[in-house]
Amino acid sequence: MGTASPQPTLNRLRQTLAEIDPSNAPRLAGAERLVGLADPINRALGGGLACAALHELAPTTPIHLGATSGFALAVAARASGERRQVLWVTTDYAAGEGGGPYGPGLDLFGMASARLLVLRVPKPVDVLWAMEEGLRCRALACVIAEMTGEGAVADLTATRRLALAAREGVSAQNSGLGLLIRHKITDMPSAAATRWEIAPALSQPDAYGGIGRARFDLSLCKNRRGPSGRWTIEWDHHERAFQPALSVGVAAPALDRPDRAPLVRAG
Amino acid sequence: MWLRRLSTDRIERRSSERVEIFVVVASINGAQRITALTDGAARLGLKTGMGLADARARYPKLPVVEADLEADQRLLENIADWCDRYTPLVGLDPPDGLFLDVTGCAHLFGGETALARDLVTRLTQQGLRARVAVADTVGGAWGVARYGKPGIIPRGETKAAVLPLPIAALRVDAETAADLRTSGLTCVADLAARPRAPFAARFGKSLLLRLDQALGDADEPIVPRLPLPAAMAEQRFPEPIAREADVLGTIEHLGRQLVAVLDRRGEGGRLFQAALFRADGKVHRLEIGTGSPLRDSARVRKLFEERLAVLADACDPGFGYDMVRLSALVTERCDPMQTGLAGSDHAEELAHLIDRFGARFGLRRVTRLVPQDTHIPEYAVAAVPAHASKQMPSVPSSLVEQDSLSAVRPVRLFNRPELIEATAQVPDGPPISFRWRHIRHQITHAEGPERIALEWWHDDQGNQLTRDYFRVESRAGVRAWLYREGLYDREIKPPDRPQWYLHGLFA
Repeated sequence: MGTASPQPTLNRLRQTLAEIDPSNAPRLAGAERLVGLADPINRALGGGLACAALHELAPTTPIHLGATSGFALAVAARASGERRQVLWVTTDYAAGEGGGPYGPGLDLFGMASARLLVLRVPKPVDVLWAMEEGLRCRALACVIAEMTGEGAVADLTATRRLALAAREGVSAQNSGLGLLIRHKITDMPSAAATRWEIAPALSQPDAYGGIGRARFDLSLCKNRRGPSGRWTIEWDHHERAFQPALSVGVAAPALDRPDRAPLVRAG
Repeated sequence: MWLRRLSTDRIERRSSERVEIFVVVASINGAQRITALTDGAARLGLKTGMGLADARARYPKLPVVEADLEADQRLLENIADWCDRYTPLVGLDPPDGLFLDVTGCAHLFGGETALARDLVTRLTQQGLRARVAVADTVGGAWGVARYGKPGIIPRGETKAAVLPLPIAALRVDAETAADLRTSGLTCVADLAARPRAPFAARFGKSLLLRLDQALGDADEPIVPRLPLPAAMAEQRFPEPIAREADVLGTIEHLGRQLVAVLDRRGEGGRLFQAALFRADGKVHRLEIGTGSPLRDSARVRKLFEERLAVLADACDPGFGYDMVRLSALVTERCDPMQTGLAGSDHAEELAHLIDRFGARFGLRRVTRLVPQDTHIPEYAVAAVPAHASKQMPSVPSSLVEQDSLSAVRPVRLFNRPELIEATAQVPDGPPISFRWRHIRHQITHAEGPERIALEWWHDDQGNQLTRDYFRVESRAGVRAWLYREGLYDREIKPPDRPQWYLHGLFA
């Protein structure tokens, strides 16, 4: 070896180190990309939600599906930036049971519906197939898939396949982010990098007592790279950014700020 | 081509033991009449149209089968499907005939004689008795197959072959033929030699039209059963193939030939069809549509792979396929595009992914959310098939007026609003609690009402109710979109109460 090719040796050593202590995982150029959430969570995740990986989300009770979908869409909005496409895979049954993604609502939430591709499949098994294909496709920034119930078909083997597909599909455009929403929390084993249980949190009312920005109560139950934990964070749909939930009111956004999702005043 | 014993052949093919003599009867004008019979029965002197009672009087033990016209029709269509192997232009001639336009196809089978022999041999192997005539005109072939000596009528001799045939060979109804016979006109030549005007006056134009069509004086196109492809390629096998990989390999190989043809025309295919001809006569047809003109045989193969994956059971290869045909049914202009040197534009990859989803699940299931010009929440966005959404004029998303820090539209909307129980402090005030799917939620914040009246210009009966929408947040943080249907006192009179619905969930 020696001086001729130091790079492979170095990489091998880094990998060995990473196996011993995941928090020391090397920042390999290009391979490692992260979607930043709010500060305290990023620390637990080692910088942010890892791309090129599968993440599982589930609502703590069925009515919290709205919050779960919201969190998934917020992550997708951050991962897809301004131009890239997002795929949403759902089954007929799931769409009947929990409703389908609603365009105007997504636009207001910060995830442009024009960049969302919605696929409705007949059976849960098809969700797995479609998600895998979607993750392999280099044109998609993020794939969100949902399954009713615990999503029993997404077992260890199936999630392993998805995780591998997520790793393969990474390209300049694709962050290889797979978000699997189970409609019910489960303790089935899975190959996902993280598993989240999501509930909404009371929002901070605005100056007039109205409903404030969406807040999520996130429980990170499983984390391959670090500790688990529980946080409350807020989604700012204008800035497309998560913030730690503050208990004091924040100043209303200036009306002449650079415009993203236009804020139209009524009356 | 005339399948002279279609009904009885169908029944004989089904039955396990061989019965030489039987008849098929149907009730015509209130009497049981023979509609079809076997050769054996014909030798006994029975005829179609004869009453069953008469036949029974002569042969008391005559076996009888009820007619099933639908099954006959299905069999005829299946045979037509199968005949597709000879020419793409097959026309039905119910109840028991088929027209095949073999112009330009016959040489593939070694000439018209060889084609006809092949056709009859194969049908006989299937237990179907057929008489085939090849002639210059559709009418001529029809008449010769039924009333003349079947075979090939050389070019230009159709007239001579048709003239000696009886009048019935002109495809006229039995009544007209009988009337002409009583006036002493028995064969086509008698009719053709006489002045036309009196016949037109007596029997109408159709008789003369049939005469002209048979003799080649009037043009008669064959109405094809299936749309004619813009381009096609096919492959025959001496030994049937059954493995999926072989079929797909063949499709890719044919795809290459097809793409070369399309390339020369500067076109790409939008709709492809693969016809798999099973050795025992069944034909499977698979179709795939694409979002943009396609001329890449590997992708065509990939799309058919998806299609086969879902149709695995419906496409049982049985003894194998002895012919595969790939046709491009719909084509579109497709100009070659300059690709960037970096080549990292993945738009094409996305289009291919959409096509593959479409091939597996149906193109209608891959959708994009396209805003619509209406303020009714459930119609404000339409799920338009992704491959068509480019052509769809998209209304610029006129954002809903946002007067809140939170989004005023939910991220998930129920197709059908869910009925809930809700209580409000004052009849038309915001709700203070609601019960959805057996769980009660206490509301701490409510914004609204946002009054959405339905479109009266689309409402003829005037029975659509105004909705008052509320955005609510429960004590646990659940944010939902509720509405009350109907205005108190104006649209709904007490003691009736308006219903409450949950329409969507916010993040």
